[in-house]
Order: sequence, then structure tokens, then C-alpha cells
Amino acid sequence: MNSETLNTLDSYSKNKYKYGFVTEIDDEKPKKGLNEDTIKFISLKKNEPEWMLDWRLKAYSKWKKMKEPKWANLSFPEIDYQDIYYYSAPKGFEKKPKDLSEVDPKLIDTYNKLGIPLEEQKVLAGVAVDVVFDSVSVATTYKGELEKLGIIFCSIGEAIQKHPDLIKKYLGSVIPPGDHSFSALNSAVFTDGSFVYIPEGVKCPMELSTYFRINAENTGQFERTLIIADKGSYVSYLEGCTAPKRDDNQLHAANVELIALEDAEIKYSTVQNWYPGDEDGKGGIYNFVTKRGLCAGKNSKISWTQVETGSAITWKYPSCILKGDNSIGEFYSVAITNNFQQADTGTKMTHIGKNTKSKIISKGISLGKSQNTYRGEVSFLRKADKARNYTQCDSLLVGNQCGAHTVPYIDSKNNTAVIEHEASTSKINEDQLYYCRQRGLSHEEAVSLIVNGFCKQVLQELPMEFAVEAQKLVSISLEGSVG
Amino acid sequence: MNIQDNYQKNKKNIFFSENKDIQTHRKKLINIFENDGFNKKNNESLKNINLKNFIDFKYRYLISEETSVINNNQENSYSIVSVNGQCSSFKDDKIEITKILDEDYNDFSKNNTIENNDHFVNLNSLFLNSGFKIVIKKNNNIKIKISNIITDDNLTIFQKNNYICEEGSSLNLIEEYENKNNSTSNILNVIKLEKNSQLNHFLIQDNSPNHNLIITSHSSCKKDSTYTQKVYNFSEGYVRNFHYSELIEANSEADLQGIFFLKDNNTSNNKTFVKHLAEDCKSNQVYKGILNDRSKATYFSNTYVDQVAQKTEGYQLSKGILLSDNASYFSKPELKIYADDVKCSHGSTIGPIDENAIFYLRSRGMSKIAATKILISSFINEELSSIDNAQMSEIIQKKLVRYLSKIK
Repeated sequence: MNSETLNTLDSYSKNKYKYGFVTEIDDEKPKKGLNEDTIKFISLKKNEPEWMLDWRLKAYSKWKKMKEPKWANLSFPEIDYQDIYYYSAPKGFEKKPKDLSEVDPKLIDTYNKLGIPLEEQKVLAGVAVDVVFDSVSVATTYKGELEKLGIIFCSIGEAIQKHPDLIKKYLGSVIPPGDHSFSALNSAVFTDGSFVYIPEGVKCPMELSTYFRINAENTGQFERTLIIADKGSYVSYLEGCTAPKRDDNQLHAANVELIALEDAEIKYSTVQNWYPGDEDGKGGIYNFVTKRGLCAGKNSKISWTQVETGSAITWKYPSCILKGDNSIGEFYSVAITNNFQQADTGTKMTHIGKNTKSKIISKGISLGKSQNTYRGEVSFLRKADKARNYTQCDSLLVGNQCGAHTVPYIDSKNNTAVIEHEASTSKINEDQLYYCRQRGLSHEEAVSLIVNGFCKQVLQELPMEFAVEAQKLVSISLEGSVG
Repeated sequence: MNIQDNYQKNKKNIFFSENKDIQTHRKKLINIFENDGFNKKNNESLKNINLKNFIDFKYRYLISEETSVINNNQENSYSIVSVNGQCSSFKDDKIEITKILDEDYNDFSKNNTIENNDHFVNLNSLFLNSGFKIVIKKNNNIKIKISNIITDDNLTIFQKNNYICEEGSSLNLIEEYENKNNSTSNILNVIKLEKNSQLNHFLIQDNSPNHNLIITSHSSCKKDSTYTQKVYNFSEGYVRNFHYSELIEANSEADLQGIFFLKDNNTSNNKTFVKHLAEDCKSNQVYKGILNDRSKATYFSNTYVDQVAQKTEGYQLSKGILLSDNASYFSKPELKIYADDVKCSHGSTIGPIDENAIFYLRSRGMSKIAATKILISSFINEELSSIDNAQMSEIIQKKLVRYLSKIK
């Protein structure tokens, strides 16, 4: 690394420090708790226009009247919303490990298995490094290329400043702030997230990922992502990381909105591997995510792929509203729960337009003492002529103390629509296991191989680099609980 | 009139209202209604129901002058006509029929572990005004046919029946519900199968448009016993079929099947629930529905497998055919599994009649309607051909022909 880069980065990080600490808040440390002042503080810190603050306050007043949805098959202690920081602490406020030797060796072990380079490990583990190797220059190169095509890819905060028209038009149009309590909470206090706009007819040449965004240093616990694909465009977006990420925030409530206009296609892939808590179920992240895509135009397509292995609690239902005629919605999911993890995840496909199609493939694997629920809704409204759905949700149980549940809701109001749903639950096939062991694999390897085969249908939907890592991740998630 | 007033006013017409234990239980039930009541928002089992008929009803019950008839026409074969939910007592060395007693009520209210939140069952317990108990004695093989008759218009029947199949017995039970008056029947069947017993239960439902039928069953199966239930719903009035089954000892089996044929503005709500609480048990839940005109149906199926219930096999299947633009079908096939060595699955389909099949038949010279009718018959053929009782098979065929003749 040359000295010039070092200097640039140095000054960059210092600037941020100044911005975060001296300007508006002086010596004030961020306060815990949620009230109008917190929201005003966030809005002020992000230098937001008036209308944005109003929007947040409106969402907050809605949130105050709402209760958390209770229908999910999850049990967790009451969330104390007043005991949470709503604006991530400025740099230096939290204690960070000084180098990798202070980081939990188990975490490092996992990084090594995933084949993550040392420098990256430091970032992921939250080690206080001032210089983030060379990714900045990588990012700028990509950014230039995107700009040439007219693609807007920036943080949501930046978008509010620079592209207020698009934000005003689309923010909250798919997930209204008053939809449920977590969406209202997110709308009131979101601090970071991505904004993507693909102009008409542009095919985005690369997989977009927060990894390439300069200021993606702290994605924040209340993430808000908005992706708009204009007519005839295509984009593939990657969220998350296969590596387990250190995070001090316990509650995560992200909102992701996708809008596909006529002939546009959005592919959204997630690998979620947040801290799931220790073997006794202590700690771990509560992940309450709302993801929804709107196929607004004709022939549009939205495809969700997710691999969920982390978090103590996963509450996540990426859904598609198929409004445009001939639009397509897809959902591929692998959810692995171990120890005391609980996952209640699935999708919602709402067919409104004619000839709309949707496909759901969900694979749930429960190990240890975990509970894994698939919950999905497929509904055909009256005008969804010739709509089609195919759903397959399979569960695999490893060990006799876990639970696997399937709760599909199927609602048809149209007599030309066809819906097919099948699900099965079983343990790992003894014959397959025997076959693998006979050929010299250990019990653990055999289970891992079979589980990977079980998930294949979903993993192959992931972008290439992700898929390889995801396969390793599946094997790692199974460790220690088999045999 | 709210539920409490309704109860207080008609207390003297209701069974066991003097019993202290039962009074306390009923107080609890009234509290439940007052607190949560029939809150549609958080209770999907109330989907599509016109609740007014069931909360705000006028309680009216008569003990009819017509008496019930019990015939022992052939050996091991009985036919019973129950009038307004009542049945006179009968006893021989094979079966015993008595009135329902307060101890039966208490037994149900205290030992019911399978579902405590069914409002309609609670209503039944609260306003109970009829019912009987049939015991099939050890090692007997019996056939019983029960016709349920209601003598007057606008009656509200709240009936609780207990069926007990003692060890090694086998019962073939056919129940007919064919009523033409505007009454409401709320019936709860509590079924107990002792070791190695067997019950084949057929329910034929064919009521007129203004008759509401709410039928719920709670069956529990002990070791090596088998409960098979087949519901044929041809009713033109509202029918709610909720059937719960508990497999409490090893190697027992529950098979809950149903077919419903809906037309006009009719609604039907169906639910089956099987709770596996012991090893090596099997269950099967199959419902098929045909919906025409503006009819609506819901079907909830649920398999629960306890941690100890290893080697379970539990299957569910739900199929619906929508014949008209305005019909709607909601299905929720649910699996809750806490044991690992299980084979469980569910399948669900909803759609129109296969156009290719219609085309095939039409190209062979059939009219569209004739083709549709043939395809509907074949859709449920499996269920119909498995009926081994010639007389019953004929009855059901006739009703099917009647339903098909209305299809245009």
C-alpha cells in the first residue's frame, strides 16, 4: 500500500470522527431510548430535509399505537425499545478488540474455513483498523463504471440528499410505514442502507453488493434498502456476507423494498450469518426483517434467494406482489437452525395480475434444540387469471430435540389459477448415509454432503462466488451437532 | 342478545345447570366469550362465517313428543332415529345407550387436551341441551345407523354424544343429517377407542339452505386402535366440520377424510387435526372440495408430532376444484414436528378442471358439461369406490348425480 492511499484514508477516517463527534453533538454521547428527540437527532445528524423528518415522525406516531406481531412460532423475551441505541455509536465509543488475538478463536477458526483473507478477517471481527486495505480503490473503480451507465448506487442517506424525487416517489410505496410494528420502527429510525436505481434498458454488468460501497463500514441495525429497476433493466444485488459478523446490536429490523417496472428483473440474494448465540442459547441477534418486492410492470420479475444460518431469531418473509400481467416471483430459501436458534421464515406471493407465475422452494434444516418454521402465503386475487404457483417446502430433522414446522396459507379466488403445494418432513435417509459411510466418509462428512445435496436446488440460484462460500457455510453450520 | 343473557334466561332448559362444578366451568366459558369472544381478526378458523347467526341467536329448544326409535332389525345391526338430539335408553349384551350425564360433561371439560380454544365447542358446552352415550361392549362387531331428525323450525340444538368402543370391539357407524327446517345444530362427538378397537365413521350431510350444521369430533385412540372417518357434505346450508384426533398409545391410526360439494352462496369450513403422542402411529387427512357459483370453503389440516412419537407417518392432502369465477378456497396444511424419525408430508392443489382432459373428452364427441361431470366424478372416484357398503354407496351416488345436474 503506498503512502498516498494511507494518507487519504487517514484523513478520511479523521474527518468522519470530526463529523461524528464535534459538529452537532459536541461531547454528547448518543442516548438510549426511542422518542421524538431521538428521531430528530437522527434526522439532524444525517442532515435530512424537512419532509424526511416528517415522514419519520409520522411513522413513529404509527409505531406507538402498534404491537409486535405475535403470530410467529417464536419465543423470546419482551423487547425493551427504550434500552437500545438508535444511532450507531461514533467511532471509538465502543470497545473494539485491538488485534485478532483478542477475538474469539472460534470465530477465527470459522473465517479460516471459509477461506477469508487475514485483512478481511480483521474488518469482519470489528478489529479497530484505520486502514481498510485496498477495497476503497476497488470500489471507486466500480463506481465509475456504474456511473457511466447511469446507475445510481449509493447509501440511502446520500440518495435522500441527491435524489429526493425518486425517494419521495418510492420510499414506503411497497412497505408502507404502517404495515406492522417493525416496518414502522424501521421507517422512524433507519440510519443506513443502500439505494439502487437502474435506468431504462440498462443491464447492470456486475453483482451489486454493499461490499463495494465506500461507506458501508457500518451497515447499521435499522437498514433500509430501496432498489428500483426501471423499464427493461436488470440488476442482481447481494446482501450480507458468508462470514459471521461481529455486531453489538441485538435487535435488527431492516426493511428492503424492490420495485420492478415493465420488463425489468431484480435478483436479490442474501446470505445471513449473524451471531446466533452460544451453545446454551444466550445472546444472539434478533433479526426482524421485512422484505417485499413489487412487480409493478408487465413481464417484470423478482427473485429472492436466501441462505439463513445465523441469528438467534429470524423473522423474515421476503415477498412478491405480482401486480403487472405476466410478472414472475421466485423465492428460494435455505434456513439452517442449530442449538437454540429459532427461525420463522417464508414468503408471500400475492397474485394480482393476469398470467402471473410464482415459484417457492424452501428447505429447512433443524439441528440441536432449534425450531424451524416455514410460513408462506400464496393468494390469487379475483383478477389473477391463469396465474400459476408451485410451492415445495421440505424439512430435514437432525436429532430428536428440534422441531420443524410448515404453515402454508393457500387462498384462491380465481377459478383459472392453478396452485400446487407439496411439503415433506423427514430425517436423513439411512440408506444414503450408509452409502456414503461405506465409501469412507466420516459420519459428519456424510451428513454434510447429504444436506448440501438437499439444499442444492436453492444454492445453485446464488451467484457463483456466493454459492461456493454458501456450500462451505452449510457444512460449518452442521458442525458439532451431528454424530 | 349477548351470550351471557341468553344463557341466564334459558338456564332451566339447559343440561346440568344445577351442578356446581359445571357452573364454574361455564362461568369460565362466558368469561372467554366476553374477553376475546369471536374476534375474527386473530382467529382464522372463523374465516367466512356469518357470526351473527351464532352469537346473536334466539335460543329455542323443545323436547319432541315423537320418541326416538331404536331397532335391532338384524343381528348386530341397529338403526336409531334420534329426535332433536335425544335418544331413549337401550341396553342389551352388545351395546348400551344412555343419556349423557354430568360426569361425561366433566370428563370432557377436564380431560380435553387437544383443543381448548374452539369457540363453537365452548358454545356447545354452555348451552348443552341434548345428547346420548353409546357404549360398544368388548369384542363385539356392530353396525349402527343414526338418523338425526329435528321436528320443528328455528330450534337450536346443542348436542354432545359420547361413543365408547371397548377393547376389541368394532363399530360401523353411519350418521345422517338431512334436515329441511331452519334450525341450527351444534354437535360434539366425543369418541374413545380402547385397545384394539375399530370405528368406521360415516357422516352424510345434506341439509337445506337455511339449516346450519356445526359438527365437531374429538377422538382418542389407544393401542392398536383405528379410527376412520369419512364426511360427505352435500349440504346447501352452512356446515362446519372440525375433527380432532389424538393418537395416545402406540400403533394406533387415524384417518380423516372428507368431500364437500358447494354451490350458490354456500360456505363450508373444515378442519382436521391429528396429534401424534405415541410411537408407530399413522395418520391420514384427505379433503377434496368442489366449489361452484359463489361458494367459499376453508380447509385447515394439521399434524402435530410430539417428541416421543418416533416412527410416525402422517400424510395430508387437500384438493380443490373451482368451477366458477366467484368461488374461493382457502387451505392451510400445517405440520408441527418435534420428533426426527418421521415421515410426514402434505400436498395441496387448487385449480380449475384440467382443460386438456376436457379437450380430450370433447374431441371424442362429448358436450362440455358432460365432460365436466365425468371429470368431477373421477376426481372423487377414489373416495366413492372405497365405500364397502352397497346401500350407502347408492345414497351417495344419488346425491352426487343431483349435485352434478345443477352444473351448467
